[in-house]
Amino acid sequence: MIDFFQMVVSGIAVGSSYALMGLAMVMIYKTSEVVNFAQGEMALLSVFVTFLMLDQYRLPFHIAFPAALLFSVFLGAFLEFAVLRRATEANVLGRIIITIGMEMVLIGIVSWKFGADPKTMPFPISPYDSAEIGSVYISTLELLSLLIALSLMISLFLFLKFSRLGMAMKATQQNRTAARLMGIPTNRILMITWGISAFIGCVAGLLIAPVTMQPYMMWDPMLKGFAAAVMGGMTSLPGAIFGAYILGITENLFGGYVSIEFKSVVAFVIIVIVLCIKPSGLFARHYVKKV
Amino acid sequence: MKSKKLLLVLAMAAIAVTFSFSVQAEEGVTDTEIHVGQWGPQTGPAAPWGSVARGTDALFKMINAEGGIHGRKIVHHMFDDAYNPAMTKAGVKQLQESTGMFAWVVGVGTAPGLSVMDYLMEKKIPWVGPASGSQHWITPPQKYLFAVYPLYNLEAKALVRYGVNRLMKKKVAIIYQNDDYGKNGLQGANEELGQYGMKLVAEVPVEVKDTDMKPHVMRLKKSGADLVLLWVSPTHAVRIVGTAKAMNYETQFVSTSTCSDFPLMYKISKGLWKGVIAAAFGELPDADHYLMNKYKNDAYAKFAAKDERWGTFYYAGMLFAEPFVEALKRCGRDLTREKLVKELEGLNNFRGIGGSITYKPFDPKDPSCRQGMREVFLIECLDDGKIKKLTDWMQIE
Repeated sequence: MIDFFQMVVSGIAVGSSYALMGLAMVMIYKTSEVVNFAQGEMALLSVFVTFLMLDQYRLPFHIAFPAALLFSVFLGAFLEFAVLRRATEANVLGRIIITIGMEMVLIGIVSWKFGADPKTMPFPISPYDSAEIGSVYISTLELLSLLIALSLMISLFLFLKFSRLGMAMKATQQNRTAARLMGIPTNRILMITWGISAFIGCVAGLLIAPVTMQPYMMWDPMLKGFAAAVMGGMTSLPGAIFGAYILGITENLFGGYVSIEFKSVVAFVIIVIVLCIKPSGLFARHYVKKV
Repeated sequence: MKSKKLLLVLAMAAIAVTFSFSVQAEEGVTDTEIHVGQWGPQTGPAAPWGSVARGTDALFKMINAEGGIHGRKIVHHMFDDAYNPAMTKAGVKQLQESTGMFAWVVGVGTAPGLSVMDYLMEKKIPWVGPASGSQHWITPPQKYLFAVYPLYNLEAKALVRYGVNRLMKKKVAIIYQNDDYGKNGLQGANEELGQYGMKLVAEVPVEVKDTDMKPHVMRLKKSGADLVLLWVSPTHAVRIVGTAKAMNYETQFVSTSTCSDFPLMYKISKGLWKGVIAAAFGELPDADHYLMNKYKNDAYAKFAAKDERWGTFYYAGMLFAEPFVEALKRCGRDLTREKLVKELEGLNNFRGIGGSITYKPFDPKDPSCRQGMREVFLIECLDDGKIKKLTDWMQIE
């Protein structure tokens, strides 16, 4: 039984990083219908910039981390403004391809500037300390990730529900033309959405990096976050979070009880099953366009 | 009429002359140059191993700076295959069929190497020192393929032998990458344990894409293993050792030479690599060894990029190419592929910066005729990634 709890706890722990990546992708998808495959690499660049500040310029954590988050917001906003917005004629598929292109460029920049050797990010707490609850272990870093992820999700929820900017974002998501007619600067809103999304991704990256960092570190969390988001419906923020934790737990249980070889594949099997039963995801409302 | 006949004769003569020249001169060899090819990942997840190819490159540049070999410079064509077998195959074919390589050296990875092995062997093009300890290179042996890297299963045997005999460990487990590389380790461990009437208490496969190691480590912990063989990539190895620490699981980790770059491993594991024992097949980075000093001063210091590290993989790129260079020297001025093969076969206890290398005349029934190195030694990681030599060279059949 202890094994079972350990697997569930480990699943929840790993689910946090999936949830953050999933949230970041859903934010962008909701506003622009673009699946942003550069999400992981946007975070990657911010993480390596943090590494540069900490390792080379010896800046303290309380400066480097906020600076990195700020950088990620600018990076996200910049990419939307400089790349995505220029593709006025492109359809959704075209824009997805653009994000794949950005992904390659960003990973190229990181590999070129920082080299391919694995590194580790200096971090205020050791990633290898653990808390013991009963006979179940959870590392302090994972506990921290869980807390940060949850508080970020709650703040995001409150922000979208109650702030004016949040309302404007929602309006843009639902009907861009109507929003523009109501005087909402939709372009700027899009840019801000990208900024916020990059911010969330950067938090995920910063929480992954203390274990190991190399240019490919964000690919797996991004794919899993995407899988979680698809499972949750791609337009639903709670759906992405729920999907991420379900995914983390299922992966661990599957690895423990069925087959560890196919642990990573299980995410994608779940997606197929969910999409067969509920094509628009577990949490999304199914929109039918009226002619 | 006469002039027409003369023209015909002249034309035929011209064709004959051209033809005879192209037959005589070996592909990839001119009066002043020897063209040699190599692939290696400079981008992608396997890029940390890219330094192997850069190491070979520095060695060749050093040789060229010293006047080349019998008046010929080595022109080293290396390309980035991103550890993607499809790209390896395309790149090798392109270089071979456009420029024409005399031979191929090193080349990182089992899967990339396997994708071109048949092609090179069918064309009878020598390939020396694949940077991987796979059994595929020698089972069955190929006339033109010379393996240098000691087999992975041999490293596993050495580590198990040391663990059981010297460290008195009773429960041995392995965590391995679920591919050819990992399975070679698994096989070696099983064979060696069989000799002591023991069995692995856990065999835990890791997929290359896995990032969360908790389920894996939990299995190891449950098995109660007091010796765990790590047959995985460096990043996975660090994650496993870290997860074990977080789960309060204490055991002796031992690892393949793939994770024997202790300064790097110590740094990325934030010190957890201390106490890990690994197999090694080359001199230590700070060894006071004549050739190591020469390579460090004349190749690395002069030709490496500014931020290149004098790491294990980097000089392994030189180590793997040493038998090729030695055979080129022994061939003399009259260089052909057949002669190169003959000189390689003549290497007997040749020693550069690695273990001793011996080949034998080609015998399709004897894999050992193409396996150069058969010995490793064991090292332990100390504080700050310093290295302690635990054993002498261990010869294992």
